[in-house]
Amino acid sequence: MTTATVAGPRRPSRDAAAGANLLDIENLAVRFDLPTETIRAVSGVSLTVAPSETFALVGESGSGKSVSMLSVMGLLPSPPATVSGSIRLEGREVIGMPARELRRFRGRDVAMVFQEPMSSLNPVHRVGRQIGESLRIHRGFSKAEARRRAIELLDRVGIPSAASRVDNYPHEFSGGMRQRAMIAMALACEPKLLIADEPTTALDVTVQAQIVDLVREVQDEYRLAVVWITHDLGVVAEIADRVAVMYAGRIAEIGPAHEIYRSTRHPYTSGLLRSIPRLDRPVTTRLAEIPGSPLRVAEQLRGCPFDARCPLVGEGCSETLPELEEVGPGRHGSACIHHHEMGADSDLWSEGSVTGEQAVSGQDGDVVVSVKGLRVHFPVVRGLGRSRSVAIRAVDGVDLDVRRGQTIGVVGESGCGKTTLGRALVALVRPTAGTIDINGVPIDHRSGRHRRVVQMIFQDPFSAMNPGMRVGDVIAEPLRIHRLGTADEIRERVSELLTQVGLPPDAARRHPHEFSGGQRQRIAVARALAADPEVIICDEPVSSLDVSVQAQVVNLLADIQAATGMAFVFIAHDLAVVRHVSHEVAVMYLGEIVERAPRDRIYEAPLHPYTKALLAAVPAPEPGVMSTRSAKLEGDLPSPADPPPGCRFHTRCPVAVEGLCSTVKPELVEVTPGRWVSCHLAVKPG
Amino acid sequence: MRRRLDARRITQYGVVVVVAVTLNFLLPRLMPGNPLVLIAGVDVGLLSPDERAEIVARVGLDAPLWKQYLRYWGDIVTGDFGYSFRSSRPIVDMIMERLPWTLLITGLSLIVSAVAGVILGAISAWRRGTKADLGMLSGMISIESLPSFWLGMLLISVFAIQWGVLPSSHAVTPASGLEGWAHTWDIISHAILPVATLSILATPGVYMTMRYSMLETLGEDYIRTARAKGAGERRVLFGHVARNTIAPVVTVLALRLGFAFGGTVIIETVFTYPGLGRLVFEAVSGRDYPVMQAAFLVFTAAVLVTNLVADLLYPLIDPRTRTS
Repeated sequence: MTTATVAGPRRPSRDAAAGANLLDIENLAVRFDLPTETIRAVSGVSLTVAPSETFALVGESGSGKSVSMLSVMGLLPSPPATVSGSIRLEGREVIGMPARELRRFRGRDVAMVFQEPMSSLNPVHRVGRQIGESLRIHRGFSKAEARRRAIELLDRVGIPSAASRVDNYPHEFSGGMRQRAMIAMALACEPKLLIADEPTTALDVTVQAQIVDLVREVQDEYRLAVVWITHDLGVVAEIADRVAVMYAGRIAEIGPAHEIYRSTRHPYTSGLLRSIPRLDRPVTTRLAEIPGSPLRVAEQLRGCPFDARCPLVGEGCSETLPELEEVGPGRHGSACIHHHEMGADSDLWSEGSVTGEQAVSGQDGDVVVSVKGLRVHFPVVRGLGRSRSVAIRAVDGVDLDVRRGQTIGVVGESGCGKTTLGRALVALVRPTAGTIDINGVPIDHRSGRHRRVVQMIFQDPFSAMNPGMRVGDVIAEPLRIHRLGTADEIRERVSELLTQVGLPPDAARRHPHEFSGGQRQRIAVARALAADPEVIICDEPVSSLDVSVQAQVVNLLADIQAATGMAFVFIAHDLAVVRHVSHEVAVMYLGEIVERAPRDRIYEAPLHPYTKALLAAVPAPEPGVMSTRSAKLEGDLPSPADPPPGCRFHTRCPVAVEGLCSTVKPELVEVTPGRWVSCHLAVKPG
Repeated sequence: MRRRLDARRITQYGVVVVVAVTLNFLLPRLMPGNPLVLIAGVDVGLLSPDERAEIVARVGLDAPLWKQYLRYWGDIVTGDFGYSFRSSRPIVDMIMERLPWTLLITGLSLIVSAVAGVILGAISAWRRGTKADLGMLSGMISIESLPSFWLGMLLISVFAIQWGVLPSSHAVTPASGLEGWAHTWDIISHAILPVATLSILATPGVYMTMRYSMLETLGEDYIRTARAKGAGERRVLFGHVARNTIAPVVTVLALRLGFAFGGTVIIETVFTYPGLGRLVFEAVSGRDYPVMQAAFLVFTAAVLVTNLVADLLYPLIDPRTRTS
């Protein structure tokens, strides 16, 4: 893959071409008539996409962004979906078009790339066959022709040795390669419009950047218009020409990207922009948080759907349904009757004060958890017995201290061993070698007693909680297991905990399914707190939550730490969130810590090339801010069963020295007090 | 679901065989009372001490347990299941005489119920929520709840007694002396009712699995991808849904065949059909323990063989289960 220069002046907005729109949506409404209720997923959505324009459709889950675009493809199942309004593709009405005709559009003029590349590819067909399929359907290609073209396309999207990979099955591809294959599939018939539905959400941050670049490249080459559906304003800031922000099935704000990001005219957009922690801003004590959770619309709306969560709420908000009003140049529209009262984003949302230099030398505070030489290997089961020689080296020699009242962030790509490390700390997996001491006492794997002092919060609050138990029992279980109090005392403590995490005490009598994702994560926090532990391992605690809710949970954890002096191990792939919560950060690669340092050190001046690459891959949620995107990481993580010799990172390292890095393993050394790095080049000055 | 036929899986099969044979060996010896009763029958009490000693020596009950166990294995490997004390015939001969008839009706009913269940299940899933789907679904649930002997007797009373178009019992007309095509037709006409009964009873299970599996597949993301490419309904159904749907159905069919063997005990008794099931029924009523034990081993072997076939088929259907 060529590394295209992505920085540079923005392409001129293509508003001039508005007369000949490729896609013209007017007053679109989608209703789902379910047995129990009616969901108004989309109402009154109007937007246009010009040829070769990049249009970003931004919103949280349930905002109607995907549903809108699936109705363009005619892919919504009917029943239960009813689509009304008008969708014109190159002037031809799509709604009500006979199925046969609609099929001729799909895949030929409009193609779609989906979020989960694994489940979106048919597991029983070869990749090449799936790429060639639309050519067989629309262009009448023979099998051999389609296969030949599939190889060219795979090569174009950057799959190495495409000719041999074309006959692979999807499960033989890595996540990034699968998404490349999906893009190749979409490009096969050279469509005019590509709809990309969260194409990078399921991928690692390093791979995300590769896919964004790839879409940009092919867009210019094929003169494609792209509709990019996402929940993440950061990903699209640098690629979008126009942006529409959706909330509760309606467009809240729409306009040219620079207008949306720089002269925001809707409180919701502003809230989304402020609640995302950013690498290019100083760390504040609290994140700006939008209270409550996203609205699901069942009834016809009377007032503004955002009124209950809005800081600008005032006269008329709950009585009039706001229509889009022109508020700025380039057809910038906002559906807020108080938009003229909007000042700077920071005035609208309180986010606490900027924290100064964190007083963390890495030395103060008592050590609660001490990890020495930890290895966790999973033997690969092959044939009759367990082969001792082949093992997944998930964690391979990790030293770590967790101090009271502090948070240590652990970051790295998926497969780097960060989750296994977390599980070892809670003794959910047994170490192959090394020791874990809690308050100076080694973990006892036979009893769960140490789990009173170490607790865990998991990524997905939906599957991490027994759906048959009441919330009160979920929270009380650790207390009962460790026999901490009588029934009355436990009931008392549960109410206390629920109040502490911001839920009403009567929540104890309800079941988990009655709560939203954010509320469930609060319940998970309460459960983790119940036995009054010394340290909580948080494994991606906010990554499955809606953007507007993530800030609430991050702030809650900060409050708890301030009140109790609890220590956290915060495992996450989102470097901006980790920066916001951590005192110290450890970067993991293939089971090893490659760099560990106080937070500001590592973010301001990373030493290890891998840390640099990770930071470079993080997109900034503002157009034009992408100066550091040069040191991009290529390729995929090597197999942890067979890590490269020498420095494990040398196969992907942009500065690796031949003969040194590929043979000699660098030690993790303390370069300045509290700052550890394992790289031959970072240790030697210059 | 990931399944692989590798050394591990072969070991599992081996373990099952050993456990089954060992249980079979131990059962008569663990039961309360004299194992002689179980091996030689309840009439043993009427025998003289000399006769008893003779039987004990012949069966080898006086040898140490491990020697008996080894000998038991030797017998099984050489195909010696001992003698029925009712008919005093070698059990292996009795089984070999009955086995073809059971294989005939279970094999045929497996094919019929598989074809019917897969087709009806696919139609049901494709038209999910329609009257056709709901009608078929409730029909299948009703059939599922029918007692097998009742259905068999119903078919006999209608086709054999009222209309008189099909024979009600036996596998061939006794002492008819038929030859050639007439003989073949004789066999077929005798098999129709038992096969129909077994097929009707086995179809709902296949149907349910097929319907569920196909509904699952239809909801998969890659089906949406196929539609997004512009694939027509026919292409979606045969190109993308079919192969992904059939994999779980194969597993269920393999398990069903095991059940089908057990089900023959009742059906073959109702139709006086001379198969293994009928043999088991006769053995149970006559407390012919050696025959029951041998039949038990044959049933176990049948279940293992069908599972093995499913294991071998699986990688052909789903490339994810292929070992590289």
